[in-house]
Amino acid sequence: MESMTEPVLLILLSLAGQPRHGYSILRDTEEMSEGRVRLSTGTLYGALRRLLEGGWIERVKEVDTSRGRQSYRLTSLGRRNLQAEVNRMKQLSRVASVRVARKEA
Amino acid sequence: MTTLHRCMLRLYPKSHREEFGEEMLAVLSESRAGLQTGGVFSRWEWSARETSGLLAGAIREHVREWLGSAQSPIFARGRFGMRSEFRFPRATATLMTIILAAVVLTIEQARAIVTSLQRVNSPVGQIHPMEFTVWPVLLLVPVGACVAGAVGWAVLFLLHRSGVQRLGDFDASAQSS
Repeated sequence: MESMTEPVLLILLSLAGQPRHGYSILRDTEEMSEGRVRLSTGTLYGALRRLLEGGWIERVKEVDTSRGRQSYRLTSLGRRNLQAEVNRMKQLSRVASVRVARKEA
Repeated sequence: MTTLHRCMLRLYPKSHREEFGEEMLAVLSESRAGLQTGGVFSRWEWSARETSGLLAGAIREHVREWLGSAQSPIFARGRFGMRSEFRFPRATATLMTIILAAVVLTIEQARAIVTSLQRVNSPVGQIHPMEFTVWPVLLLVPVGACVAGAVGWAVLFLLHRSGVQRLGDFDASAQSS
């Protein structure tokens, strides 16, 4: 499986816990990356559009739509793909740890 | 939210504006409201980030409409799609462009001096004003760079396509054997 782009990975991780609207995703991705990644609104909505089209996320019907807010949540396909990416990263991290430890020894 | 950002949303394709326009305005508005406690630098940084993000997003959406949705940025592809830690540094591309412009400028000035000296030493002995042809060349450089970039991208795209196709064939033949 190909690796995800970093913005997409962070957006999916942000939605893994709970449904979120656009601004909440921006804040959460910044917090998760400890301020290293600050997504712009343009980048966020480009990624959201593709994730919606791919069926990885879906819109949540909200009661309060007065402020133009729209929440999104992961679909089962999105969660499966996110899990696959996390497994891929774990495997890579395991190999990397072994290789680095071997070099230091 | 600045008028600039509101106007920049108009750069997006109509379908994108209709689907996400209001949401994007709301996020920009909330995001700006969250800066009230920040200093001048954070406001400037926010504005620069959003401006470049909207511009890049609008271009990406138009390209996507022209080429179809196959150009998906969900997965990292190629050198420019890698994770941010390993991306080709933008500073290098900028520096290379500046060096190229400087080299072209130097060559053109040297050419103008040579032309002028030839006229001084000519039998006629009349000195003509120097022909300063730098600006047309400087205008042509970005255009030439864009064309070269487009050709390079097309070559890489075709190579990528053919490579993926060969790999697909390889897998199919491996499974069948």
